[in-house]
Amino acid sequence: MKMGKLPTSLRAAASISRPKIAPSSLVSESSSPTPAKTRLSAISPRTRDDGESSRTPFKSPDLSAAKSLFNSMVATPDLRLHNSFLQSYASISTLGDSISLLRHMMKSHPTFSPDRSTYHILLAQSCRAPEPTLAGVHRALNLMSADGFAPDKVTADIAVRALSSSGRIDHALQLFDEMSLKHSVPDSYTYNFVVKCLCKCRSLSMVYEFIDKCRSSLGLKPDLVTYTIIIDNVCNTKNLREITRLVGVLGEEGFKPDCFLYNTIMKGYCMLSRGSEAIEVYNKMRENGVEPDLVTYNTLIFGLSKAGRAKEARKYLKIMAEKGHVPDVVTYTSLMNGLCRERDVLGAYALLEEMKESGVEPNACTYNTLLHGFCKAKMMEKGIELYGEMKAAGMELETAAYATLLRALCRQGKIADAYEVFDYAVESKSLTDVSAYSTLESALKEVNKHRE
Amino acid sequence: MLPPRMKQAITDNPKKLANLIDLVNLPTPLRDFMGQSQTSRLGCFMRVWSYIKENKLQDLNNKNVINCDEKLRSILLGKPQVELAELPALIKLHFPKKPN
Repeated sequence: MKMGKLPTSLRAAASISRPKIAPSSLVSESSSPTPAKTRLSAISPRTRDDGESSRTPFKSPDLSAAKSLFNSMVATPDLRLHNSFLQSYASISTLGDSISLLRHMMKSHPTFSPDRSTYHILLAQSCRAPEPTLAGVHRALNLMSADGFAPDKVTADIAVRALSSSGRIDHALQLFDEMSLKHSVPDSYTYNFVVKCLCKCRSLSMVYEFIDKCRSSLGLKPDLVTYTIIIDNVCNTKNLREITRLVGVLGEEGFKPDCFLYNTIMKGYCMLSRGSEAIEVYNKMRENGVEPDLVTYNTLIFGLSKAGRAKEARKYLKIMAEKGHVPDVVTYTSLMNGLCRERDVLGAYALLEEMKESGVEPNACTYNTLLHGFCKAKMMEKGIELYGEMKAAGMELETAAYATLLRALCRQGKIADAYEVFDYAVESKSLTDVSAYSTLESALKEVNKHRE
Repeated sequence: MLPPRMKQAITDNPKKLANLIDLVNLPTPLRDFMGQSQTSRLGCFMRVWSYIKENKLQDLNNKNVINCDEKLRSILLGKPQVELAELPALIKLHFPKKPN
C-alpha cells in the first residue's frame, strides 16, 4: 500500500487495527485464566480504542473535517486502512456521523466496498454509547442487513461483549435473545461470556434461569467452561453445598474435569478450610489421570495450612518436588503461614532460609507472614529484626502484621518504637493514614487500660 | 481503593471514621497552634506528632516521654511532661463527641 502520503498518526492506527476477529481464530475458553483474559482484551473494542485514542488522527468529532481528511488521503485498495480510519472516527463521534462518513467513503471511492468488519465497527460504537434503549444497536444491525451482511455469530459476540463492557448487561441479555430469534444462535463463547457476566453481577438463580432458558429454547448446553465459571463463582461465595451439588452434576452429565476445573474445585474447599475434601480432589485427579500442576500443589498447601494441617502440607511440598514441580514464593509463604498458625514460628523461619537456598526470593507477603508470626508468639527480638530488614528493603506492611507489631510493642512499653512503626507505615503508604492511626490509637488505649 | 478490612470498619461504624476525619472548628488555643481554624482529629494528631519530632521534644533518656515546650503545653492541659501513650487521648479532649 502507499503509505507515503498518510498522516503518521493514521499509519500507526492502521498497523495495530485488525479486522474483527473471525470465529475460527477465537481461542477456546481456555483452562487457565490468563489466556481467557487476553482473549477478552483482544476482542473487546473498548480496549483497542484506548490504545488508539492517543494516535487518532481526529482532533474533533466534526463530520465535514473528517470527510475532507478522507478526501485528502490517497485512494488505496487496502480495506484495513478504510476500516481503521472509520474506527478512529467512531471512537470520538456519534453513530449518525459515523454512518454518514461511511456513506461518504463509499460514494467518493467506488473502489472501497465495506466488509463485515466495517459494520462491526459501527455496531461496537452503538453498543458503547450510554443509551437507555437498543435503538442505536438496531440501527447498526439494520444497516448491516440492508447492505447485504446478515448478522452472524461474530456480530452477536461483538455486540454482547461491547454492551456488557459498557455496563449495559440488561441490553446485552435482550440482544442475546433477539439475535437467537432473528438471526443465528450465538456460539458457546458468547454464551459463556454471558454466564460469566451474570455470575459477576447477578444472582446465581438468574444464572441458572439463563442456562435453563438456553437449554430448552435454543438447544445451547452448558459445557465444561460454563461449569468452571459457575463453580469458580460459587467457590468465591463460599457456598459449600452448591459446590458439592455441582460436582455431582458434572459427574452425572459425563464431563471429565480438566486440571483447571479440579484446581477451581479444590480452591473452593480450601477457602472453606476443608482440608480432607481438598486432598480428596487431589486423589481423584490422580485417579482420573489428570496430572496436578504447580497451581494444584500451591492450592493444596495453602488449604492444608489454613486448615491447621501444616505437617501434611509439608509432606506435599516434598511430593511436588519429587514430581518435578519447583515450589515458588507462594508455596513457601503458604506453608510458613500454616506453621505460624501452629505457633511453630521457628520452623517457618527455617523455611525462609530453605527457600533462599533453593533460589526463591521471598517477597513482602513472606516477610509480613513471618513478622505477624513472631509478634504473635511474643518473640519480639526476632520480630524487630525482621521489621528492620523489611524497612531497609522498602517493603510495605500488611494490615494484620502492622497491627500485631504495634500491639506487641505497646504491650512491652516501647511506645516510641510503636510511633516509629506508625511513621513508616504512613511514609511507605502501606496503609491509609486513617487505618494506620486507628490501629495506633486502639493499641495505646489497650495499654492505658491495663495500666490503670 | 480501601483495603477490605477498612471497608468493613467503615460499614460497621461510619461514625467512628467520621469523627476522625471530619473537619471541625477548632477552639482558640488549638487554632493558634495549628495556624488554621479548621482541621480533623487525624490532621491535628499528625501535626502535633510532627511538631514533636521537628523540635526534638522526646526525652533523651526515655523516648516515651515528651518534654513539652510552651506551645505544646498550651494545648496539652499545661502539663510539663506528657507520655507518648496518652497523646491521642489528650488530643481527643479538644474534639468533643458530636451530639446525635
